[in-house]
Amino acid sequence: MKDIIKVTLGGAKYIILMFFTVLFLYPIFWLFLNSFKSGTELFETPWSLPGTLDLSNYVRAIQVGEIGRYFLNSVIVAIAVVFFATLLSAMAAYGLTRLKWKLSKLVLSIFLLGMMIPTHATIVPLFSFFNKMKLINTYAAVIIPHVVFAIPISILILSGFFSSIPKEMEEAAIMDGCSIPKTFFQIICPMAMPSIVTVSVITFITAWNDLLFPQIFLSDPKMMTLPVGLTAFQGRYSTDYVGMIAAVVITIIPSIIVYSILHEKIIDGMTAGAVKG
Amino acid sequence: MDKLLQSKKYILFFVAPAFLVFAVFGLFPIIYNFVLSLYRTDLMSEGTFVGLKNYSNLLKDKIFIGSVKNNLLMVAGSLLAHLPIALLLASIIFNKVKGSRFFQSIFFLPSVVCGVAVGLTWSFIYNSEFGMVNAILDFLNLPGLKHQWLSDEKTVIFAIIIVVMWQYVGYHMVIQLAAMKNIDPTLYEAASSDGASKWRQFKDITLPLIKPILKVDAILIITGSLKYFDLIFVMTGGGPNHASEVLSTYMYYQGFRTMKYGYASAIGNILLLLCAIAILTCNLIFGKKKEED
Repeated sequence: MKDIIKVTLGGAKYIILMFFTVLFLYPIFWLFLNSFKSGTELFETPWSLPGTLDLSNYVRAIQVGEIGRYFLNSVIVAIAVVFFATLLSAMAAYGLTRLKWKLSKLVLSIFLLGMMIPTHATIVPLFSFFNKMKLINTYAAVIIPHVVFAIPISILILSGFFSSIPKEMEEAAIMDGCSIPKTFFQIICPMAMPSIVTVSVITFITAWNDLLFPQIFLSDPKMMTLPVGLTAFQGRYSTDYVGMIAAVVITIIPSIIVYSILHEKIIDGMTAGAVKG
Repeated sequence: MDKLLQSKKYILFFVAPAFLVFAVFGLFPIIYNFVLSLYRTDLMSEGTFVGLKNYSNLLKDKIFIGSVKNNLLMVAGSLLAHLPIALLLASIIFNKVKGSRFFQSIFFLPSVVCGVAVGLTWSFIYNSEFGMVNAILDFLNLPGLKHQWLSDEKTVIFAIIIVVMWQYVGYHMVIQLAAMKNIDPTLYEAASSDGASKWRQFKDITLPLIKPILKVDAILIITGSLKYFDLIFVMTGGGPNHASEVLSTYMYYQGFRTMKYGYASAIGNILLLLCAIAILTCNLIFGKKKEED
C-alpha cells in the first residue's frame, strides 16, 4: 500500500513538472510556428504546423518594420551599458573591499540601497536633466540610467568575490613592484573573470529587455531600441499579427540563445540579489 | 603595504567614478523628484509652486485610486503565485527528481525574456479570434466563458496578473530552491530516521531555515509588482478606459502624454513610498516570527 502511494506521488510530481514545462515552452513554440504563416493561415489554422517555411514575415518585419535598425540600436546600447557598468562596478567593488578606509562600509551600503530605488521615481528628473543637456534621442540618455541602476547589484556580486581572494595575491604582486591599479587590472580582474561574466550577462539582459527608459528618452525611430521599436510596430501595423510575431521572435532569439549557453551563470546572477543580500 | 592600501589617491581612483555617476544620476534625481512634485510644471518654463496640491489632487483622482487598487491586486496575485506555487515547485525539485536542472532552466526562462515580447505574446494568447484561451474554452465545451479578455474592463487586470504570475514564478522558485540547497542535509537524514513525514520536514526544517531568504524574496515580489510597466504598457496601455492602469503606466500617461510633470513626479513618489512601506512591513512580519521561535 505504501509503495502504491509512493509511486502515485512520484508520478504526480512529474505530472506537475511536465504541466509547467508545457505552460512555459508552448507559447514560445507557438510564436515560432506562426511566424511562418500568412495572416489568413493564422486565423484559420492557428494550431497546425505552417504549410510552408515562408520567411516573408521576417522580411517584412525587417524591411517595413525596421526591426533590423532597432536590433542594431539595442546591441549598441547594451554593449555600452555592459562595458561601463562592469568597469565602474568592478573598480568600486575593489576599492570598497580591498582598500582600507573608514567610510568604506557606509559607501557600500549607500550603493546597495540603490537596489531598492524604483527607477520610476527618477524618470521625470532624469528627463528634465537630459532635456537641458540636449541628450534626449541620444544613446547616452538610455546608457546612463542603465549603468546607474546596474551598479548596485554588480557591486554586490563583485564585492562578494573580491573579499574572498586571499591577501597574499596582492601582497606578492605589490612586492614585485606592481602598482595598485596594475595589480587590479592584471591580477585581480583575470581571477574574477567568472564573476565579471555573471555581472556582464545580467546587465546585458536587463538593458536589452528594458522598455521604460528608451520609451521615454528615445522618440526618434532611428534611435529606438527593440522593445520600443516593437511597441512602435504594434502601434503602426496593429493588424499585421504575423509580422508582429516575426518581430517578437527576432527580439527573443538572442536572449534565448544566450540563455541556453549561459543559463547557470544567468540564474546565479539574477538571483544573487536575494540569495546573497 | 597597508599604507599603499590606505592611499587616498587610489581610493578616489577606484570608487569615485562609480559613486559620482550613481549620486548624480541615481540619488540626486530622487531628491529632485520630491521637489518637482511640489510644482506645477511643463519642465520648459519656470513652473509654479503649489505645495502639496499635487498630492491632495491625487487623493481625489479616481484613476489614481484605481491604479493603486490594480497594483494591490497585482501584489496579491504575485504573492499567491510566487510564494505557495513557487514553493511547491521548489520543494518538488529539491526532493531530487530526475532532470531537476532541466526543469529549473525551463521554469526560469520566461523571466529572461523581454517584457514587451512577453506582453505581445500573451496578447495573442488572449486574442478573441485566434487566441489560445478562447480555443481551450471551446475545447472544454465552455463557450459561454469566452471573452475579449483584454478589452473587457472587468477581466483585463486579471488577465494581466496571470501573465505576471507566468513570467516570474520560475524566478522565485529558483531563489527559494537556492535557499533550500543551503540547508544541512544531515537535518533531513535525522528527521527521516525519526520517521518524520515529508510535510513535517518541510514545515519544521525547510520553512524556518529558508525564512531569511523568503523575507528578501517577499520584498522582491511586492516591490516588483508595484513596478511592472512593460507588460501593461504593451498589452493594454492602461486601458480600456484606464481599467488596467497601474502606478507606473499612469505616471507615464500624466507625465509624458499630458505633460503634467509635477503630477507625474508625485505619482513616482507614491510608488517609492509604497515600496518603502512594503520593505518595512516584510521586515516587521518576518522579524516578529523570529522572536516567537
